[in-house]
Amino acid sequence: MDQTIKQAGRPDSRAFPAARRKRFSSEGRWGLIMVSPYLIHFFVFVAGPLAASLYFSFSDYDMLNPPKWAGLDNFARMADDPLFWRSLWNTLYFAVLFVPLQTLLALVLAVVLNQKLKGLKWFRMAHFIPVISSWTVILYVADAIFNPRFGMANALLTRLGLDPQRWLQDEALAIPLLVIIAVWKGIGYIMVIYLAGLQSVPGDLYEAGEIDGAGALRKFKSITLPMISPTTFLVVIMSTISTFQAFEQIYVLTGRGDMGSAGGPNNAAMVLMLDLYREGFTYMRMGYASAIAWVLFMILFALTMLQLWGQKKWVHYD
Amino acid sequence: MKHKRWSRAAAYLAIAISSLIMIVPFVTTLMNSLKTYKEYTSVPPRWIPETLQWSNYAKVLELGNFGQYTLNSLYVAALSVAGAVFSCSLVGYAFARLRFPMKSALFVMVLGTMMIPPVVIIIPHFIIFNNMRLLDTLTPLWVIEWLAQPFGIFLMRQAFMNIPKEYEESAKMEGCNPFQIYLRIFVPMANPTIATLVIFTFMGKWNEILAPVIYLTTNEKFTLPIGILSLGGQWVGNEQLMVAAALISLIPILALFLFAEKYFVQNHASSGIK
Repeated sequence: MDQTIKQAGRPDSRAFPAARRKRFSSEGRWGLIMVSPYLIHFFVFVAGPLAASLYFSFSDYDMLNPPKWAGLDNFARMADDPLFWRSLWNTLYFAVLFVPLQTLLALVLAVVLNQKLKGLKWFRMAHFIPVISSWTVILYVADAIFNPRFGMANALLTRLGLDPQRWLQDEALAIPLLVIIAVWKGIGYIMVIYLAGLQSVPGDLYEAGEIDGAGALRKFKSITLPMISPTTFLVVIMSTISTFQAFEQIYVLTGRGDMGSAGGPNNAAMVLMLDLYREGFTYMRMGYASAIAWVLFMILFALTMLQLWGQKKWVHYD
Repeated sequence: MKHKRWSRAAAYLAIAISSLIMIVPFVTTLMNSLKTYKEYTSVPPRWIPETLQWSNYAKVLELGNFGQYTLNSLYVAALSVAGAVFSCSLVGYAFARLRFPMKSALFVMVLGTMMIPPVVIIIPHFIIFNNMRLLDTLTPLWVIEWLAQPFGIFLMRQAFMNIPKEYEESAKMEGCNPFQIYLRIFVPMANPTIATLVIFTFMGKWNEILAPVIYLTTNEKFTLPIGILSLGGQWVGNEQLMVAAALISLIPILALFLFAEKYFVQNHASSGIK
């Protein structure tokens, strides 16, 4: 609208009113043509699938026969499925260890790096190499350290006179170690997000703090932390949501390419995505797998809402 | 003043230790890839092999389907990058610059799609590609990229919105249609953002594991990350070669990263501002 008004003020525009009207309506046509790839995407690959998977979650479906309505059977079965509860528990356990640890360490690193140190670029690059590596690469890197037979960690433990560990093949150690490896891989990514957040904190706030005689710790607590809380929220939302959908890292690190052994010893590292994959793509129980997917979706949705609500409630925006 | 110098020294020490924790495992892995099988499995391990077996890398290229996996990965990544650049810039331009019916409702759809986790739609996707007889082909791995992903739409829309109005006014005067304006004026001006999109898409596809695991069953069709894992069964007694294979698969990404570091960091940093 404002374009038309502006052009109407030009001396030459009145000369071509018909041409202008034609172009304006063709703009609407062009707009729709140009967004059409996304329209196809939305209806064929988002809205349709969303409805379909909701329907499947109330059906019996093996892909050979058409889906058969089964009411709440899939959900009732889920309530009695120990592997589902094990997977849910493991996923929660993973998230509770992973999200705070990665967020905290990344923040500390970013604050340290933000002091205009020389060679910042090189330090940042060092922390980004695991970020750009595939989980297959990370498997062999983790193996160099934590292979139970010939890894460096056991060599070190033996030299110190301690017992060697079975690491990822140990039921109690599997998830904590997966968390450590995931933090190691992802920390550079979160650190860079925090660095961007820190750079937006105005420097005069710190000067004011110094005049008031605040020490480094005090300044961190009273200025840095509140000022970057929007970033912290974003990071926590992002990492929680991606942790609940973690598949590749567990599949590769515990299964080494074999779906049968993925999930660790005695399902110690079985997570929801892996359970879903097996039910759906190994056993072809598409209905049950869709039900698991919807439960996971609801958890993620609730988390997002909770965090959006919390964000409104107590996050500081300047 | 003295206090400040100490705190700087402590900062350097902390960041140096942290960098070593990042790098040393990779160096250890590199060493593993240069060992004989006997050295690779020796207890206690030797950090540096007796002689560096650079021939391991040549062997990887000759053995098994490694070359085929590389071609498959390149094929998927190239088609995905082309599709993402084409479709996201087109849709992003429309949202940034054109008026069309239902524009704001459609944009809310893009926003909404970003909140839908992939987990809830992967099964229907599998069924769609099954019905199209496209399972065990590379098509499902790249075809959706031609239909504009929300993140890319956002990125391109932002870039196009920042270009001043004057540029399109003169082109309109000359009678260019919106597509011509997009192609001749806006796309060339958004090159840095397109570079970010290229790198983001390439890295995502090159490293992707879930979709290839779901869609591919024939070994010759595998992409690098799952192909290398599948060599485990074929290369018993040669596991050090798999380490070399994994490191070879890292080279393109690492090279891209070393030459275009700012695009990697920019992209990740900007997701924090959103």
